[in-house]
Amino acid sequence: MIRAIMSAEAAPAFMPGDLVRIVDLGKPGHVRTPFYVREKTGAVERYCGVFENPEERGYGRVGLARIPLYRVRFNQHDLWPDYDGAPGDVLELEIYDHWLVPADEETQ
Amino acid sequence: MSTEPHDHTHHDHPLSRQDDDVELTPAEAKFLAFKSLLIEKGIVSPAEIQARMALNQKSGYHHAARMIAKAWTNPAYKSRMMDDAKAAAIELGIEVTEAKLVTIENTPERHNLVVCTLCSCYPRSLLGEPPAFYVSKAYRSRAVREPRKVLREFGVEIAENVDIAVHDSNADLRYVVMPMRPAGSENMSEEELAGLISRDCVVGCALPIEPNADS
Amino acid sequence: MADRLITDIGGDHAGPIPQEEREPLFWERQMIATYNVLQDHGVLVTDEIRRTVEEMTKDEYGASTFYGRRLDALANIVITKNIFTAEELEERTREILHNDTRDHVR
Repeated sequence: MIRAIMSAEAAPAFMPGDLVRIVDLGKPGHVRTPFYVREKTGAVERYCGVFENPEERGYGRVGLARIPLYRVRFNQHDLWPDYDGAPGDVLELEIYDHWLVPADEETQ
Repeated sequence: MSTEPHDHTHHDHPLSRQDDDVELTPAEAKFLAFKSLLIEKGIVSPAEIQARMALNQKSGYHHAARMIAKAWTNPAYKSRMMDDAKAAAIELGIEVTEAKLVTIENTPERHNLVVCTLCSCYPRSLLGEPPAFYVSKAYRSRAVREPRKVLREFGVEIAENVDIAVHDSNADLRYVVMPMRPAGSENMSEEELAGLISRDCVVGCALPIEPNADS
Repeated sequence: MADRLITDIGGDHAGPIPQEEREPLFWERQMIATYNVLQDHGVLVTDEIRRTVEEMTKDEYGASTFYGRRLDALANIVITKNIFTAEELEERTREILHNDTRDHVR
C-alpha cells in the first residue's frame, strides 16, 4: 500500500491506543527499526510529531519532508519467547509512520 | 614522556596537559592528524574546538538531579517537567539542544529503564557523554530482553509486582528517568535531595540513596 | 528480507555488563567537540556517522571500541566528502606517530 506523503499539518494516522504492526519493509541500509520488533504488534503510546527521515539523512540527504513518528508499546512476553518477568512488563520505542500498519484483531 | 615545550609560538593549547604522561596511541595520532588536516583546510578552527570542549564540559547529570529535586518539591514544576522536559531544563538555565526531551516517571507500579540498542543515543547536552556501561554491547543487547537480570547486576532488585518499562531510544526522543522520592527525605532541601540522585538513576539503573532513617 | 544491521543487537545474548568507569580521554573529548563543530558547520549529520558504522564488517565491529568507531566513521565521511584524502590522513598520522608528541608540545 502506498501511503500518501503527509504534510506536517495533516492529522496523524494513528492515535494513542491504536493497535499497530511493525512491517518488515526489507529495506537495506540505514534504518532505525530494530529486528526484535519487526512483524510484532503493539499499541501506539503517543504521536511524537514529525521529523526528518533518518533513512535519508544517513546518506546526507537533509532538509527533506518530515515524517510522522510514533512511540509504540509492546508486551515483553510478545517480543521474547523466553521472557522471564512480570506480565505487565513493556518495551517502548519510536517507529516512523511508513513502518506501521493497523493491526487486525486476529493477528497476535 | 617529556612535557618540556621547545617552542612557544603555538598558544592555542596549554603547554602541558594531564594526559601528557599517557602514551600516544595510533588512535590518538589518527585523531590529531584528522584534526590538523581539518584546521589546515579551513573547515574548523582550534578556537572553535576549544570553545565546544568547554561547552560540553558544562553538561552533567547534576543538571538532571537539580531538575528532579525541584520536581519532587514543587508540583507545578514537576507538571511542567512531565509535560516538556526540555522547556523545564531551559527554564533553569540548562541549555538542552535535543529536539525533544521526555521525562519518564517511576511509580510504585512501574520502574523505567533507558537504553539505545542501535548505538548510544543519550541526552548529551543535558547529561554529557554516556557512561561506559551504557554504550557497551552487553547492555545494549540485554537491557531490552532481560531488564530484571540487568538491574540485578547494578544491585537493583525490582519486585515482581512492579512492572518494568524499557525504553529503546532509537529515534528522535531522548529520555530522563524521574526516580521516586525516597522515604525519609521529607525535611531535605532541594540541594540535599539532588545529592541523593546519581548519574545511573537518570537512566533507571540505580535508585536514589535512602537518607538514614532515625531509629 | 534485508540483512540485520551489525549494530542491531537488541535481544542478543551477551555476557556481564562492564561496570568499570571510563572517563573519556582528552583526545576523545576533543574528538567529540570536533564532531560537534563539524555538525554545526553542516559538514555532516549524526545519521551519516551511524550509517558509516553500520557499513563496517561484523568482525571489524566486534573488535572495535566506541571512540575508535567514532573516529573511523568521522574520517571516512570527511574523506568521502573530499575534504582531504585517505593518503593525506595516513601520511599525517605516520608523521605524528613518528614524532611521538602531541600537538601542544613541539
